[in-house]
Amino acid sequence: MNIVTALSGVVIKELYRRKDFYVLFILTALITLVMGSISFFNDARIARYLKEICLMLIWISALVIATTTTARQIPAERENRTIFPLLAKPVTRWHVVAGKFLGCWLASGMALVVFYFFFAVVSGTRDSHWPLLQYAQIVLLHWAMLAVVISLTLLGSVILSAPSSNMTICLVFVLGILLLGRHLNQVALEQPEPIRSLIYLVYYVIPHLEWYDVRDLIIYEHKLIAWSDCALAGLYAFVYSGFLLMGTWLAFRRKPLHL
Amino acid sequence: MEPILETNGLRVEYRVQNGQGPKVAVRDLNLAVYPGEVFGFLGPNGAGKTTTMNVLLGFVIATGGSARLFGVDVREPIARQRIGYLPELTYYYKFLTVEELLRFYARVFGLSRDEADRRIDGLLKLVELEHARKRPIKTYSKGMQQRVGLAQALINNPDLLILDEPTSGLDPLGRMKVREIIQRLKREGKTVFFSSHELGEVETVCDRVAIINEGELKVVGRVSELVESHQANLEQIFLSMIGYKPEPVV
Amino acid sequence: MAGVSTQTFASVKSRTIYFWILSLLLVLSFTLATVLQPRAGTWTSRSGAENVLKVVLGDGRRLFANHFFVQADVSFHSGYYPSIFDHTALPKDSSPMIADSEQHDEHAGHACQGEHDHNSAKCSDDHAGCAHDHGEKGHEHDPHEKAMSFLGTPRDWVEAFGRRFMITEHTHLSAGNEREMLPWLKLSAELDPQRVDSYTVAAYWLRTLGKVDEAERFLRDGWRNNPNSYEILFELGRLYHEARKDIERTRNIWELALAKWGEQQANSDEPDLRALSQIAIHLGRMEESEGRLVRAVELLQLAQKASPNPEVLAKDIEELKHKATLPVKAP
Ligand SMILES: Nc1ncnc2c1ncn2[C@@H]1O[C@H](COP(=O)(O)OP(=O)(O)OP(=O)(O)O)[C@@H](O)[C@H]1O
Ligand SMILES: [Mg+2]
Repeated sequence: MNIVTALSGVVIKELYRRKDFYVLFILTALITLVMGSISFFNDARIARYLKEICLMLIWISALVIATTTTARQIPAERENRTIFPLLAKPVTRWHVVAGKFLGCWLASGMALVVFYFFFAVVSGTRDSHWPLLQYAQIVLLHWAMLAVVISLTLLGSVILSAPSSNMTICLVFVLGILLLGRHLNQVALEQPEPIRSLIYLVYYVIPHLEWYDVRDLIIYEHKLIAWSDCALAGLYAFVYSGFLLMGTWLAFRRKPLHL
Repeated sequence: MEPILETNGLRVEYRVQNGQGPKVAVRDLNLAVYPGEVFGFLGPNGAGKTTTMNVLLGFVIATGGSARLFGVDVREPIARQRIGYLPELTYYYKFLTVEELLRFYARVFGLSRDEADRRIDGLLKLVELEHARKRPIKTYSKGMQQRVGLAQALINNPDLLILDEPTSGLDPLGRMKVREIIQRLKREGKTVFFSSHELGEVETVCDRVAIINEGELKVVGRVSELVESHQANLEQIFLSMIGYKPEPVV
Repeated sequence: MAGVSTQTFASVKSRTIYFWILSLLLVLSFTLATVLQPRAGTWTSRSGAENVLKVVLGDGRRLFANHFFVQADVSFHSGYYPSIFDHTALPKDSSPMIADSEQHDEHAGHACQGEHDHNSAKCSDDHAGCAHDHGEKGHEHDPHEKAMSFLGTPRDWVEAFGRRFMITEHTHLSAGNEREMLPWLKLSAELDPQRVDSYTVAAYWLRTLGKVDEAERFLRDGWRNNPNSYEILFELGRLYHEARKDIERTRNIWELALAKWGEQQANSDEPDLRALSQIAIHLGRMEESEGRLVRAVELLQLAQKASPNPEVLAKDIEELKHKATLPVKAP
């Protein structure tokens, strides 16, 4: 465990020493503030469009941060040969997989806290409404979803050698699920038989990341989600990530380290 | 006495894409290194030195034969608890400072904070990087990076050191320092297994040497005994072992 | 240690490349997410004739304008909104509405006339002039209500569980919260100034929220961009009539709206009869209360011709004629 946390510490240090996170945060803040400074029909109480835009940017930034950080971890270890002194120590490849996952997950969790804090301040100053429990839910669900995204990207990074293609594929896949995952069963029902079962299979196999997208509940000031449902969703993400990490380890276990 | 490092009939093949059979990098290698020795592993470029070390560290899985460290198969992570390794070509996490890097490796070995602090101070003094301890590694020169490698290899106070060309890329002073460090480790009772092309340095620091060529062990023995039995210096022995015939002088 | 310099160089280069990839991806995904958001319902533009490809290639701005317009409707329903997939399940007759613009009836304010048969057009002409509650209570058999019950029972556990993280109630904004739709309408108008309904819907709500000056300014912007739009003129007339009580101006504007309608629609194959009947009814009712009964009768008869259920107006017209003691004249 010590080894895993030590490895994750390096990942976290890497994230906040690189520009990516700051660039995305500043971009998000800038766009939000610019949009917020527009006066729509002299009504300062209008807030939801701003929440919508800000949350959209946060979601995109978080996805980009999670996938870019994760996609380069293992390839960079191999390319820079840092994997050799590492594995020459009592570190197994499972440690590497778990440490990288934990590091990326914690790092993106930290990024989420910063982003959502900004969001809370922006929307709170607009409509002086501070639904802290709801914010806690959205952050936790978002974070749980990123666990799946990160383990997926990690798996991609040991299968595909180029980080950029892995990143692109993962982003497209995740965006695809977020936008269409919910509707695949409907699509399936409209298809003739062999295709229908196939789509249904895909529907059951893909991680249902769209559950975790509860932005609307925040924007439209809906009531809290049951905490038991949040816990179930967390469990689902946990189990799913576990499977993906297992797959990552299986793929990485026997892989030659030389490029 | 039990050997601390041992290979038996070790064979390593690399798959190559050119359609021919696999490339044999190491064939039927039997080595035994005993505690307290400084063992020089010699051979021309491409002889299979790095490959052998990669097997010892579990990076490459042997096609045949076996390799053991401290009597434990090299595939067990526990075999690596008491070794220090300096890779041939390495870059460390460039965004970390040397201090952070060493602290990270110390945590991997499960050292306590105080213990780690003490070791880090000592090692940075040893490799003369104290002045740069707060600088990210990406700002280091080549020689400095090589010394970072040496420091990380020593972080766990290992009993066995596996050094792949520890002096390459260093200036004469730096090489001298490395030699001194190796000698000091020997005095402390450590075992050092290292590869090198610098025959002069091998002659001065090694108890025993092995020379391999094209993956095959050519000769192994005490430096002094080899010199005596061949009636030649180490360089001449090396050259004859790898099949070099001097051009006849016209 | 050979190769240090080349590797360092390569890694420096790859970092900048990463940065560019990152920025590019951000832009790309933002665009993608905005465009592909399944809610963006119909991609067909106002005229209804163009196909998606033409809209995308011809004028991307319109696509975004449409997205924002739909977003206003999403906002009006507090996020409860059908996706393009849900639309496939809607009855066929719900799509011809697309080409319509806003002002058909008392529900004129709803942002959502676009994709589904929401505007309760069928029950509109009969009680023109009476102010409806836009809170939309009851209306069990309202086509809008029907179209918006798109969720149905969950088909499987994935869907059932997913419902717990979604908004699943059909509601409309109320109590002043309608203002939350306005930015989207404004953006839609900015991006596609020829999109008339952005102006009319926004103006309706601005007027309802008591922001008459803003409504007027926005409508006048729209008028400048669309000098021939009878829809905007109609909405502007309502503003002068209902908020400003300026009969003279209202009359001029509505008469102008009728004239514009005549110029554009009279000879078209599928004239926009609903708009005509609305303008005519509103103007007719106003003339009626102003005592100009002759004109009122003319207008109501015009409305009757345009209305899908003319019999509702027949009685009113008879009464008016009686009041005006005019000889019966065929329209
Ligand atoms: N990953 C690999 N794939 C294929 N062949 C390899 C691989 N690594 C090494 N080889 C081959 O195996 C042989 C031994 O290589 P090795 O690196 O062990 O030599 P070396 O003795 O360390 O040489 P040097 O003194 O140049 O470091 C060489 O012929 C090399 O081409
Ligand atoms: Mg070598």
